[in-house]
Amino acid sequence: MAEKKKATTKKTPSKKEDIKKVAPVKQEVKKQAPAPTAKPKAAAAPAAVGSTTKQEARVGVFICHCGTNIAGSMDIDAVQESSKSIPHVAYVDNYKYMCSMPGQTVIHKAIKDHNLTGIVVAACTPRLHEPTFRAATKDGGLNPFRFEMANIRDQNSWVHMHDRVGSTEKAIDAIKIAVAKAALLQDLYPKSVPVEKAAMVVGAGVAGMQASLDLAAAGIKTYLVEADTSIGGRMSQLDKTFPTLDCSQCILTPKMVDVGRDENIELYTYSEVHEVEGYIGNFDVTIRKKARGVMTPKEAEAKGIVGGGCNGCGDCETACPVVKPNMFEVGMKPRKAIYINHPQVVPLIYTIDFDSCVKCGICVTACGPEKRAIDLEMKDEFIKVKIGTAILATGYDIFPIEKKEEWGYKRFENVITSLEFERLICASGPTGGHLVRPSDGQTPMRVAFVLCAGSRDNTGTGKPYCSRFCCMYSLKHAHQIIEKIPGCIPYIFYMDIRSFGKMYEEFYYRIQDEGAKFIRGRVANIIEDKATKNLHVMTDDTLLDRPIDMEVDMVVLASAVQPSADTNRTRKLFGVSCSMDGWLLEAHPKLNPCGTTTAGVFLAGVCQGPKDIPDTVASAEGAASAASIPIHKGEVELEPYFASCIEDKCAGCGMCVNLCPYSALSLVEKDGRMVMQVTEAKCKGCGTCGGFCPGGAIWMNHFTTPQIVAQIDAFLLGGEQ
Amino acid sequence: MARIKGYPEALEKKLHDQKFYADDSNPEFTKSVKSISRTIPHMCYQCGTCTGSCPSAPRSTYRIRKFMRRVVLGLENEALTDPDLWLCTTCYSCADRCPRDIIPTDVIMSMRNLAFKRDIVPVNFLKTVTAIYASGHGVPNNDVNRAAREKLGLTRDPPTTHMYPEYMPGIRKIIDHYNLKANADRIIKEREG
Repeated sequence: MAEKKKATTKKTPSKKEDIKKVAPVKQEVKKQAPAPTAKPKAAAAPAAVGSTTKQEARVGVFICHCGTNIAGSMDIDAVQESSKSIPHVAYVDNYKYMCSMPGQTVIHKAIKDHNLTGIVVAACTPRLHEPTFRAATKDGGLNPFRFEMANIRDQNSWVHMHDRVGSTEKAIDAIKIAVAKAALLQDLYPKSVPVEKAAMVVGAGVAGMQASLDLAAAGIKTYLVEADTSIGGRMSQLDKTFPTLDCSQCILTPKMVDVGRDENIELYTYSEVHEVEGYIGNFDVTIRKKARGVMTPKEAEAKGIVGGGCNGCGDCETACPVVKPNMFEVGMKPRKAIYINHPQVVPLIYTIDFDSCVKCGICVTACGPEKRAIDLEMKDEFIKVKIGTAILATGYDIFPIEKKEEWGYKRFENVITSLEFERLICASGPTGGHLVRPSDGQTPMRVAFVLCAGSRDNTGTGKPYCSRFCCMYSLKHAHQIIEKIPGCIPYIFYMDIRSFGKMYEEFYYRIQDEGAKFIRGRVANIIEDKATKNLHVMTDDTLLDRPIDMEVDMVVLASAVQPSADTNRTRKLFGVSCSMDGWLLEAHPKLNPCGTTTAGVFLAGVCQGPKDIPDTVASAEGAASAASIPIHKGEVELEPYFASCIEDKCAGCGMCVNLCPYSALSLVEKDGRMVMQVTEAKCKGCGTCGGFCPGGAIWMNHFTTPQIVAQIDAFLLGGEQ
Repeated sequence: MARIKGYPEALEKKLHDQKFYADDSNPEFTKSVKSISRTIPHMCYQCGTCTGSCPSAPRSTYRIRKFMRRVVLGLENEALTDPDLWLCTTCYSCADRCPRDIIPTDVIMSMRNLAFKRDIVPVNFLKTVTAIYASGHGVPNNDVNRAAREKLGLTRDPPTTHMYPEYMPGIRKIIDHYNLKANADRIIKEREG
């Protein structure tokens, strides 16, 4: 912007005159636009536009030093002096910290003493302190929307830290622009909408379950939607948890049972979110309940089968002739076409995998005439629910590590992933807790753990981020094999051990003490001995400064994690953004990690970025708390930035209706012709329609055409309008 | 810079200060390696994948990771005077696997270029230059090869500069443009008399 400014102001006077010649045209445009506000008819439609601007604008400018953040990089006195001569400016002041209480008092006092009509604070960003200064403006007796911010820190003093003259000039420009808008600001009144006293949680892993339990405990009706046939998520696949080594299922199943039992939680397993409409407080969500082919006792009763429905006896499973791999066991155990994942599933209802089912009907016979739980002709159901807020807890998948060909996953039988290791070492797993080599069923005596397998990888094949929990679970795996297989040596190939949590570094100490061997070197490649199926792990012991060829019986790849397969579809339904790596984007990485840029939608657990169980639970509780606030408040205030239709100008072409990304616009008949109507609660004020409307019939509150034109004029003409 | 204690010469040599001091670094070296190699050597995080992949490392003292470290720290003299610099076979296995997407082989090549500017280059490399200048081949055809080719039903010479010697002046022109042959001859003469 500074360069652009130089391009215009530093030109010869004759050029400046050229610009002045152009200016009157712009002013004509400006004069046209506010006209409808003066007409009583138009004023009736957009209520907030009603306020007049007849009173002469008196703008107060307040320049913040932000300690030395701003004052250290520009001449505050020069900025103040120049600001005094800007048209409409009635008062200028500066203060060390405008956001502090004394700073805000300066604003109150000035509003009263100098009869100000608009406030400009030149400081940081609206994102950080707009609420603060709006409140200060309101306390001084003005409408809070009479406040305008000039960003002279993030976009000025910080980026032009070493250009004192340039940043001073740019600050003066920024203030001129802000004053031009402040002089035309109008009173606006936020709208309140009631909030439905219900919430939805998408994903029933440990994050989704914890969030649902918290919401339910706070008295909020919660719809918990899970794509799998049972709740529990990834945590239910794990054997033990670090650093306490308690059994994952033992601490998880009580929560699963609680979720199944809670009266405030309505559980939809084997279901997915199909459609989302509406906005904070009033989302209409359609849940697609996939046909599982088996009725719950409740569903059976609804169909008139008293005392029927699935009781989880498993007779159908015994009878079913179709065998498929059990994906809960990472394909290492068979299951039938009618199945449950594991004995502790919630709800204990069987599911038919219709992709494999041959509809032979043997299970129907096995189920018997009393229960009559099986319905081979069941169809997907669509259920509509109304909710106030939603939490996404869609979790993660394992990165397909076979893409890193040098480690031989899926080529060499004895190279497995950590999740497969979890199932093999778990007492309820396919081998009853005996770790064996897939090639020959023998117990491995030398096991290599490859850390950062696909994480911290900038090649484009892997993931550039740290997956955060692989170091710790690999330490836990090392402990488990030392404990279960006497004499077995774990070799941990690492770049850095990231043991950052509470009691994590102590755990690292303990595992080293137990005999795990740590080798600092990322594994270059793995070669299989064709005869023995043993593996040669090739790397550089960077501390010894020698290449290594380590022959081991088994290799465990601590594969990177990535957002679960359905994350992208779900996030689009809820209008949530994602960062470059696919994880869902939080509203602020430090100060609002559970919120999103869509009001009323929150994030819990790994869908926002890799987290271990303690962090996941903490994030879920945070999300639940945040999601319950609007519900308990009962209503939400919406920014009055919505578009409104100047009906006299609207031709009813309807082109804006299709453009609106929030479905906020519609065509209605008024006085015998079609005009556009805005559903204010849905409108986010993005301006897409306003910028497009060929007739200039859309008035964007707080970003009106006259205000924007005045800002451009102020910049190009240096405030001489 | 290494601290000098002022011991008698033999002892001073034996107890030579080996610490790394900040002023041993030449940041310009890192920059020029970066620009010549057209890769990102300063991004190395020393994981060891390169040395682990290296066919030369198990049989020599060549440690490509160590050279990458020297580039990161700007240890120009140490890198360019180390004879191991010339042990890379340029197989590019390290470049295939580097998780930071650096091309370590090209980093080595750029350092060889910088070393050559200081006349640091093994004589066998220079003799290769002489061979290319003479025949267009680093490893020219010989009678054993010719006999083997004939046995396989091939021409005695391959369809290269051996068969088309009329292209040799062009090759020589390129080599002469960089004064490669003249420099090679000069250095060989200096070393071997």
